[in-house]
Amino acid sequence: MKKILLVTGIIFALGIIIFIPGKRMAREHVNLKTAVTDHPLLCTNCHLHMHKRSPFARFDQADYLSPLNLAVSNDGKLVYIAAQDGNALLVADVEKGKVIRKIPVGNKPHSVIVDKAGKNAYVSNQWSDNVFVINLDNYQITDTLLTGNGPAGLSLSSDEKSLYVVNSYSSDLTVIDLESGIEIKRLTTGNNPTGATLSPDGSDLYVTSRRADIAQYGEPLVSQLTVVNDKSKRIKTYLGMESAYLMENVAFTPAGDLAVVTLIRPKNMVPSIQVERGFMMTHGIGIIEQKENGRIIQLLTDEPNAYYPDPFDIVISPDGKRAFISNSGVNTITVVDIDSVKALIAESTPEMLKLWPDHLGISSRYVIKRISTGANPKGLALSPDGQTLYVAEHLEDRIAVISADNMETVKTIDLDGPGRITVTRKGRRLLNNAGRTFQTQYSCYTCHPDEHEDGLVYNMASKDMGRNITNTQSLRDISDTPPFKWNGKNQTVFKQDGMRFSTVLTRTEPFPYPDLDAISSYIMTGIKYPPNLGFNPAGKLTEAQRRGKTVFERTKDNLGNVIPENNRCITCHPSPYYTNLKQVDVKTLAASDDSILFDTPHLNNIYASPPYLHDGRASTLEEIWTIYGKEDKHGLVGDMTKNQLNDLIEYLKSLRSPDYDGKSTQIHEAALNH
Amino acid sequence: MKKLIRNQYFRIAAIAVMIVGTLSMGFSHNDKSEGSTKAAQASDLALKSDSGNGSVNGDKLTGVKGELPPVPVYGKWRNFTTKDGLPSDKAYCVRIDGDRVFAGTHDGLAVYQNGKWKTYTTKDGLAHNGVVSVDVSELTGDVWIGTLGGLSRWSAGKFETFNQFNSGMPNDLVYMVICVGKDVWCATGGGVGHYDTFTKEWEIFTEKNAPMHEPWTYGVSAGDGKIYIAAWGGGVIEYNTKTKQFRDYTDPDGFMEIDLQPNDGVVHDITTATSWADGILWVSTYFGMSRYDGKYWKGYFDHDSGLASNFINFLRAEGPVVFACSDRGLSSTNGESWVTYKKNDNNENGVAILTNGKEKKEIPLTPSIAHNFIIGVDREDGVLWVATSKGVSRGEIIK
Repeated sequence: MKKILLVTGIIFALGIIIFIPGKRMAREHVNLKTAVTDHPLLCTNCHLHMHKRSPFARFDQADYLSPLNLAVSNDGKLVYIAAQDGNALLVADVEKGKVIRKIPVGNKPHSVIVDKAGKNAYVSNQWSDNVFVINLDNYQITDTLLTGNGPAGLSLSSDEKSLYVVNSYSSDLTVIDLESGIEIKRLTTGNNPTGATLSPDGSDLYVTSRRADIAQYGEPLVSQLTVVNDKSKRIKTYLGMESAYLMENVAFTPAGDLAVVTLIRPKNMVPSIQVERGFMMTHGIGIIEQKENGRIIQLLTDEPNAYYPDPFDIVISPDGKRAFISNSGVNTITVVDIDSVKALIAESTPEMLKLWPDHLGISSRYVIKRISTGANPKGLALSPDGQTLYVAEHLEDRIAVISADNMETVKTIDLDGPGRITVTRKGRRLLNNAGRTFQTQYSCYTCHPDEHEDGLVYNMASKDMGRNITNTQSLRDISDTPPFKWNGKNQTVFKQDGMRFSTVLTRTEPFPYPDLDAISSYIMTGIKYPPNLGFNPAGKLTEAQRRGKTVFERTKDNLGNVIPENNRCITCHPSPYYTNLKQVDVKTLAASDDSILFDTPHLNNIYASPPYLHDGRASTLEEIWTIYGKEDKHGLVGDMTKNQLNDLIEYLKSLRSPDYDGKSTQIHEAALNH
Repeated sequence: MKKLIRNQYFRIAAIAVMIVGTLSMGFSHNDKSEGSTKAAQASDLALKSDSGNGSVNGDKLTGVKGELPPVPVYGKWRNFTTKDGLPSDKAYCVRIDGDRVFAGTHDGLAVYQNGKWKTYTTKDGLAHNGVVSVDVSELTGDVWIGTLGGLSRWSAGKFETFNQFNSGMPNDLVYMVICVGKDVWCATGGGVGHYDTFTKEWEIFTEKNAPMHEPWTYGVSAGDGKIYIAAWGGGVIEYNTKTKQFRDYTDPDGFMEIDLQPNDGVVHDITTATSWADGILWVSTYFGMSRYDGKYWKGYFDHDSGLASNFINFLRAEGPVVFACSDRGLSSTNGESWVTYKKNDNNENGVAILTNGKEKKEIPLTPSIAHNFIIGVDREDGVLWVATSKGVSRGEIIK
């Protein structure tokens, strides 16, 4: 007994001796790795959830489906669902309430539409740059139509002889002749277009855009709604939606008297620290009267002290009475009474119509119901009789079936996803949800749509009273590129999204650590770059890109003089992420900025992130050097010919994630050649 | 035989025969040319070439052969100036697009539609008010506008600017822009730019990567899968869009002041415009005009044809007829017959001079074109629009 007590005592004493310094060491280790001092000492947080290449990472992965958009069969019995992460078109039987078919499609399917006869479905594969044509009798893929970069929204022409494909990444509209299957023209649209809907009379196609026209800080924000004449297949007009962006989708009233888009009105010119005063981001609809000299009117669907962020899709009932809007950021469907909207517009003076876009209280006049849904509702579709609304619950792997009359959820269709919620999936839900922001004004998604960036420049006023006008940065594939923030002040995502995040951006309690760990896990492991199919589809550089690579890696100028090492492109931007992870001064600090160095940004998929430089002053890659690099402090360019600069730009546009340099390349080549 | 060849008298005799023979061929050619010219009959208003009068040698030398269609005569001129709504009387270019006409002026882009002019300037988003070239994409309907400060795309009322700072554009001085399918080509002061509207990629052609004398280019046109660049001091640069190969056409005699050897190539290395239609490439210079049928060149000068002046700012071929804009009037020809429009110095009237060989006929015009210094021209459906230094003119075919 004594021996046992002695051994136990020794072990206990040793334990205490080891525990105290061990805990201290663990604390120091965690502090070092998280860059905060109070993160719980839980090994799995980092070693299981934060490393995308860890052998343990697979335990935190599951094959989710993530339904994005959907369409209903003409008889109303089937729902066709574009499963974004499942790379499949799912066919769900409404009556049976289950999936009866899973048709593999390309990478990241975005939208699905069905022709009038119900014979064919068209599925846009956003990461494959093509559209699949699927025979709905036998569910066979009968054709692959090549498109521009990032095909998203789809629409058939009124005579169904042409297919319109919205190219979300290349910001244009592909017109495909369906008889030959060939793209016959490409029309320039607004910035980052997504949704496309043909007017009820078939005369015009409306195409929404998510990003605003590129503008310097202080200039008015305008996003373009592109109107295409269906007969001529030419652009009829661009309708500028002022002070708004993220116009995801558009719908028409059946009578065709109104077109309605979803939108967000950002207040990016006021210091972001003003969130607690409300009104930082407001959300609503844009109404375009379909008559000569028709007005464009904006109305909010928010309420005082309660915001309904990230409106994604909109459908209008066949009787034209109700509009249903999915508010992805708060898991809600907002129901708008169209007659009330019309009455409000009719009785409003021009002055009042100028007031309504910023009036949080006016929504009580026309919002008649908020319907709760599962996580992150996205695409909507109404049954042909208008009785049933289907909602793609994006991060729930489920379809909500809602009675359009009663405005109640009657059932859900489970899509047979993994069922369990991993830490990363939880993080993705958090990133797409506004629940942690003061009065639910916005989610991370709002400024980082598709986990990228919104192209806006914000006033990130700091405690040092610098204005710090900064360009939103992408969240894609950033795990290997610390430190974070434009000035590299945050060494880790834990720090970036921890206490300071709540102090400056959300103005509520900070994320509790389980949530912070989950969102950090998602950011560090779950967000990938789209393949760079527009400029580097298969890892083979063009002639111009090869010449540009030589310029990028040069050590001597055109006169043969050695370029100082710290002024060569390759020094600060080495592959594979094209950053040396250090801070540097490239002499573009604004007078109003805090005096500080810049974090060297990573360059993969840089083509997709205009405007450029920390405050977005350069509208294009060229302007970085033609206008803002004349002193040769941001690399030596003064000796370059225009040809050399163009080659350099072409090379920069070709940069892509190293993830696509191996197996993935083959996959994408296969997709391209499908 | 060897002995005979070595014989001094034989060699002198052989050389003499060769000289006489060569001279005889020249006389023979001149005679036949003159003969064919004499035989040509001018119709009342529309001239018709008469190459079927035995000018076989002449055809081979000049490249002008076969039955040529008539050169129409335009009259009923109507002139537009600032009084009619143009932003400036100094007009640089005109382009017809269906029921609207674009006129590039020193002070903005003017659009004529439904009988009215409407002006667009930098305030509306135009790259620069000096508009020197306009073309319309048949594919998309987008209007591409070359200005003295960049290139503008005008799509359904929205302007977008491309310049040498914000894009891969070679230079902001855009002398000429054309739309060829999905591609846009522009001749600039810093080379030729090619913009692919699908891939949004720019290519630049200068003396560094093309057979140009220097990067300054004045004109660009397209035809038969090729791009024809009017390069300052470099003649014509032909670029095959399929093979991506260049070929240059320069003045073989190399003289800057005179065209020493007739019909040996482009008349001068300083070219101002090119235009391709019906298998014929037309080239204008400040020293005359050239025609190339893919095999033979022919030069035209004010002293040996109906050309108004050797100083040609611009030309545009429409079918078999080319319109040459000079400092002393507008000329049109099918290669043999000419119609030249000139305004009187002291009033608004003028004449249409019909020339066929040595035969000339003048038709009075009341009024005539707005001014004799002409920089731009376009024709569509029997209507001719002309950009002059004193306004824009519109004429109709006289029947």
